[in-house]
Amino acid sequence: MQYRIREHVEELFEDTPPTKKAVELQEEMIQNLNDKYNDLVSGGKTPEAAYNITVAGIGDIGGLLSQVQSESIEMEEYMVENEMGRQKSALFTAVSVMLYILSPLALIVMAIFGSGNVARVGIPVMFVMVALATGLLIYNSMTKPKYYKKDDTMVEEFREWQADTQGKRGLRKAISSALWTVIVCAYFVISFLTFAWHVTWIIFLVGAAIEAFINIAYTIKK
Amino acid sequence: MTIASDLIRGHTDTIILARLMGEDNYGYEINKSIQQKTDGKYELKEATLYTAFRRLEGAGCISSYWGDEQTGARRRYYKITDKGRDTYATLIEEWASAKSMIDKLIEAQDISLERKG
Repeated sequence: MQYRIREHVEELFEDTPPTKKAVELQEEMIQNLNDKYNDLVSGGKTPEAAYNITVAGIGDIGGLLSQVQSESIEMEEYMVENEMGRQKSALFTAVSVMLYILSPLALIVMAIFGSGNVARVGIPVMFVMVALATGLLIYNSMTKPKYYKKDDTMVEEFREWQADTQGKRGLRKAISSALWTVIVCAYFVISFLTFAWHVTWIIFLVGAAIEAFINIAYTIKK
Repeated sequence: MTIASDLIRGHTDTIILARLMGEDNYGYEINKSIQQKTDGKYELKEATLYTAFRRLEGAGCISSYWGDEQTGARRRYYKITDKGRDTYATLIEEWASAKSMIDKLIEAQDISLERKG
């Protein structure tokens, strides 16, 4: 008779999406109803009578189920919001990559046409663009919506962990790409100005050292 | 259920909190003790019981956890929180004052006495 109780409750939950809350409520109900049924049978009721009394005691759970259901709808809305955030984030990244690529343009154009203002105009323009792009990337990774647990299931915990590590990695990537752009630019600028090509490659070693220090600082902070 | 169940229904939260003041308990056992206390005259519907649990849990008055039964299905136990104890005390006070007011209000006036006085 107990499988009939389970069947009955599962039927009641048929139209409710099986979120963690809904499944837990269903299991809790089945377990309590079984306890009640067993009590009635050991109190001398026939299985049929006990089943009928148990099922009649459930009452109208429509309101309760629509509460559970509305919670899962809220979650869907949250995910749509999250999707919009992702699109915004992609746009920011695209714009900053474009800025990085275009940043030496003024310098190159001036160098080709042999204008004397290479250092005075081209370099500041380049650095402003690099700064803008880096700012965008950092702003982007800091405002990225943090994923908060909606439910304490394993999947949710994994998602939170994933969002967390991605956020940290994103900021680090932004810093690193900005750093290397600056290093490359510095290499060309210093080399063109000093013509000391045989030494300036050391800049790259210095850059690698700086990045290593940033990584260490990051790991310690964590 | 001939007694005024509507009147009792308004106090479902108080009744459940009262049952949890002593020890943690699970749905059926709580309902059973309600039934025993009223000599089988009153018992909560499953729907009312779980709705109240969710409401009380949402308000932070109770918390729940799954028991570690070795045999059979695991039970979901409810535990009263400090906030729940405060809420219970407030609800009891409210009921006491409402009860004394209602007692006075529904008392029939003794017309013969008033005429003499």
